[in-house]
Amino acid sequence: MTPETPHSSGTEREFPWWLAAAAAIGALILWNIATDEVYARILATLSRGIGMTAFVTVTAFVLAAALGLLLAVCVLSGSVILRQTARFYIEIIRGVPMLVLLFYIAFVAAPALVAGWNAIAEPLGLAPMQTRDLSLMWRAILALTIGYSAFIAEVFRAGIQSVDAGQIEAAKALGLSGWQRFRLIVFPQAIRTILPPLGNDFIALIKDSALVSVLGVADITQLGKIYAAGSFRFFETYNVVAFLYLVMTVGLSLALRGFEQRMRHRNSR
Amino acid sequence: MRTLIRAAFLAAALAAPAAAELPDLGGREVVVVTENAYPPLQFVEPGSGKAIGWEFDAMAEIAKRLNMTVTYQNSSWDAMIPAVSEGQYDMGMDGITIREDRAEMVDFSDPYMRSEMFMLVRADEDRFDDPAGFAALEDGLVGAQPGTTQFYTAVYEVLDGDEANPRIKLFETFGASVQALRTGDVDLVLTDATAGYGYVKANPDAFKLVGEPMAAEDFGFIFPKGSDLVAPINAAIAEMKADGTLDALDVKWFLEYQLGM
Repeated sequence: MTPETPHSSGTEREFPWWLAAAAAIGALILWNIATDEVYARILATLSRGIGMTAFVTVTAFVLAAALGLLLAVCVLSGSVILRQTARFYIEIIRGVPMLVLLFYIAFVAAPALVAGWNAIAEPLGLAPMQTRDLSLMWRAILALTIGYSAFIAEVFRAGIQSVDAGQIEAAKALGLSGWQRFRLIVFPQAIRTILPPLGNDFIALIKDSALVSVLGVADITQLGKIYAAGSFRFFETYNVVAFLYLVMTVGLSLALRGFEQRMRHRNSR
Repeated sequence: MRTLIRAAFLAAALAAPAAAELPDLGGREVVVVTENAYPPLQFVEPGSGKAIGWEFDAMAEIAKRLNMTVTYQNSSWDAMIPAVSEGQYDMGMDGITIREDRAEMVDFSDPYMRSEMFMLVRADEDRFDDPAGFAALEDGLVGAQPGTTQFYTAVYEVLDGDEANPRIKLFETFGASVQALRTGDVDLVLTDATAGYGYVKANPDAFKLVGEPMAAEDFGFIFPKGSDLVAPINAAIAEMKADGTLDALDVKWFLEYQLGM
């Protein structure tokens, strides 16, 4: 989603003034939290949403990565049906805005899913499922998973295709099975191409997880919305909301950059 | 300021003939959904972080009288009517205005509260102080959430009845429209007495309320279509109107409770 940061030429390193400015603003908000009772209360309330934001993001990301890998393998498989089915899924899902997908999954797909399950389960004597058994939180996670699996599939596909075809032929010649070729030859090399954009997708998912607040899932954004409604203090509340997201996204972005640099360094040896 | 806090309440005269016996639901579990974003009906208290309000108190009393066990869940306003409609929850309480188009999706209880609309403007506003004055101000803009009573009142009672009038600016949340008022993007936001008073109190230098109260709206609980809870809840509401319980809640939450920090 987020385009990969262009790599600087690497020889001269510019002092990261932007980071110093960001840190100064962060320090200002922290100072406010330490000295101003209003800010301290907002943080105390919103911090209860950090766990939910993290849970929704991590769960959706892990599921989306698994589904995305499966899709990428399908797109690159020898079967026309698998290829076309996966391509259909990826193109359709990527073309729908995440917010629309969220409402669609929550109020169209989830009830249909439950009805479909019941149509199968009841003749088998299993207890019928109710729509309410599928909480809005899990519907939100499902929507993020489906949305991001399409993006992540493309990341995996590009990574896998970046591995030189000659190596795969060589592995075939050596008698390695399809799974062995993937595990021993393709994956260890593809992962280097995959990791940076995958990390970017994770950061994008942290931000998009705020969309789950439209279903009332008690994440940082929803608690901010509720707190502002109850206290009539929008300015201060959304300062803290933005601060919490920035700590996570900028922090991870910096960590990711450091990791990439280490990996490049190791590769160039 | 006292007159501004005044919310017009349903007269006890509306109360049904005193039902001698309320039904006993035998401890039945009822899942009630709310957003907690509509003070003082339901909101999260800034200090304690607890969900409290008029509707929580009323619901607790209804549950006691009908012998039912209430559990609360949260949803957003966007999700509430669809979720209740499909049976995700047994009941919704969110200061929901009883409207015919909504009644096609969900069943409503009898009204338990009547709320009126006030004009919230910037504290330094001196160009108008009533709906006619605003309507005459050609470059005046009003902020509202689509599909809300505030929106329809702005269209049909303040402006010319054209729902696409460019003088109406739409916002995702009520709070966002108030923030737009503060920053000068719009010049007027219609609000119920409670929220309007809350904003004026929290930001006395930024806002004031002007004009006479406008269009009244009735609030009701919502249920999935055909719910067997509607009749017992209505009976409890009628009894609580008749014996003054709802009036006591009005005094507690609209007059005595200090909103904001």
